Amino acid sequence: MNVAVNVDAREDIPVWLAYGTPVFTVLAALAVSAVALVVLDVNPVAAYATMFVETLFTEFGLTETLTKAVPLILTGLAVYLPLKAGLFNIGAEGQLVAGALAGTWIGLNLSLPGLALVPLMFVAAAVAGGIWAGIPAYMRAKWDVNEIITSLLLTFVALEIQSYLLRGPMQGGTGNFPQSERFSEAATIPELVSGVHAGLLVAVCMVVVTYVLMTRTRLGFEITFVGSNDEAARQAGMSKFYVYLLVFVVGGAFAAMGGISEIAGAQGRYRAGFEPGYGFTAIPIALLGRNSAFKVLLAGLFFAVLFVGGSSMEVAFGVPAALVEIIQALVILFLITAEFFKSYRVGIDIDRGPTEAPAQPQGGDD
Amino acid sequence: MVSFIAGLLDATVQAATVLLLAGMGELISERAGVLNLGVEGMMLVGALGGFITTVLTGSHWLGFGVGILLGMVLALVHAFLCITLKSNQVISGVMLTLLGTGLTTFFGSGWVEESIDGFPQMTLPLVGQYLVDIPVIGEAFFRSTATDYLALGLLLVVWYFLHHSNLGLEMIAVGEDPEMADTMGVSVFRLRYLAVLIGGGFAGAAGAHLSLAFSQLWVPGMTAGRGWIAVALVIFAQWRPRRMLIGAYLFGLLDALRIRSQSISLTLGPDAPLAGVVNPVVEFLMTPQIMGTYPYLATILVLAYAVIRTKSDQLAVPSALLQSYSRETD
Repeated sequence: MNVAVNVDAREDIPVWLAYGTPVFTVLAALAVSAVALVVLDVNPVAAYATMFVETLFTEFGLTETLTKAVPLILTGLAVYLPLKAGLFNIGAEGQLVAGALAGTWIGLNLSLPGLALVPLMFVAAAVAGGIWAGIPAYMRAKWDVNEIITSLLLTFVALEIQSYLLRGPMQGGTGNFPQSERFSEAATIPELVSGVHAGLLVAVCMVVVTYVLMTRTRLGFEITFVGSNDEAARQAGMSKFYVYLLVFVVGGAFAAMGGISEIAGAQGRYRAGFEPGYGFTAIPIALLGRNSAFKVLLAGLFFAVLFVGGSSMEVAFGVPAALVEIIQALVILFLITAEFFKSYRVGIDIDRGPTEAPAQPQGGDD
Repeated sequence: MVSFIAGLLDATVQAATVLLLAGMGELISERAGVLNLGVEGMMLVGALGGFITTVLTGSHWLGFGVGILLGMVLALVHAFLCITLKSNQVISGVMLTLLGTGLTTFFGSGWVEESIDGFPQMTLPLVGQYLVDIPVIGEAFFRSTATDYLALGLLLVVWYFLHHSNLGLEMIAVGEDPEMADTMGVSVFRLRYLAVLIGGGFAGAAGAHLSLAFSQLWVPGMTAGRGWIAVALVIFAQWRPRRMLIGAYLFGLLDALRIRSQSISLTLGPDAPLAGVVNPVVEFLMTPQIMGTYPYLATILVLAYAVIRTKSDQLAVPSALLQSYSRETD
């Protein structure tokens, strides 16, 4: 008896598979993560109920989710845009921190009316984030230095500088905590609706801008073209250098806006460790939403639910919110697994025929 | 000053071992054509697994073994996704780093307060007791932990394996031209699996050395980017074990400088010329947090230098790196 596994490329993807994949990956990730909860003696059903019910069906949960979604969507775009050009920006965290520091400095040191100060803080943040992202982009575009490693290493540099500034020149407030002075009224982002600051509007606008850029402009076409076939793009006269630099710098500016939104909208002051790794969550967000900027928005909202739910779960059951990180990673790992089954048909042939092929001698060639 | 340099060298050796172990694993994996960006996650899993095992059993060698094993478990996932399912190696690797970070923060938060009897300092067997008296370098190089000696020994093994054994040469062939290797009767899948698993084992060992010998404690996220520095180190080393040694010690020195910098003052006396200008600059550059950026900045600079200096056609990158392999079937 012979058993053979056949793997053939599918010619077209069935509809149920195309739409079922995201649902399947999320459910599979939650199911596997439940094992981690069981190990710590927590009932996973109760934990997930807290995680989702409290987040989606309470006013507090919803406002928190929308607030958390702002930096997540913006950093998601920061990874999404370079991904379209075939680059990996895994340093959105550093760009977020660099931008937040620059914006905070402006917010604390300039006295202007709020209508001028808040936009200026966003501009300062965007410039700093753009420069921070521009370094790995320039090195990649000019010398072909791997942008994955450099953008990530610059995150560690940004975090050290953050720690230096908040313990030194920018330290403020009572006590000796690594934090800045509180923002004045003018430097605080106003509320959009009760409990949700206007940073949400910025995030949604940037999603629309990115969507229009990618689908309606020549530049967006060039980005996609460079991302899918850079050699053909070069022969068509497109500048890889310019595209690489642009997607990273704009991406860095997006991440930075996410950072300053969180500081000046939700936190009220810069605290060291103010955020639980939005720039890293941005990677699964961008991968999940890589087909369209609007899908990045949806993925950002979904991960915001996870973040808020993770904190509720931490409070209610005393389990570390790091479960959210496990879920995030598993979602993408299952997604790439599912992609294989989407593009290949796997069949098992069982041949019960009496004739058994003689074993081929190893290494024998015909 | 002499004691400062001796202490610095001592810390350099221990820090270099982390990078040497992780870097060797990455080198083997990449030589077979599979980029592993999950090193950081595999190191963390190895560090925590080794630490917990040592707390529970009291045996740091058992802990070291468990660390290696857990690194290999995570590597098996990477191998399955990248080799069998032909997934994108970058995505799989980055997600495994995220997974390793999440898992170790989740399960490791209760172990932060624990203390262990980690690897003790010992003189190198046979010759160590005579050489340890050499001024300045004696203590650093001939009184270390067993894992430091192990890493240097393994470097020789890896060098011999890759460049002088049949299996190693086949592995390199698989990373350069999988079609050709397949035609010659070499199993591309089997060798790539083997390389990725060995790589994961080395990453787990690097993590276990970090928690059991280097710092002898567990803190979530304690690898602090060393896994990524190891990936950069492979490029710096041009995929050759010998240059790996130089790179690991170079970066180990920077890591050590940050830890030891508080005990030394480089500021000029108040009467020296230019003291008013130089001293604030020196003080700024010696701030612990600013010194903390040096290993990362140096990695970026060295990486850029290595890539710029060698024209891309001379770059020793394995030709089939990042390419999945499927056999043409009729």
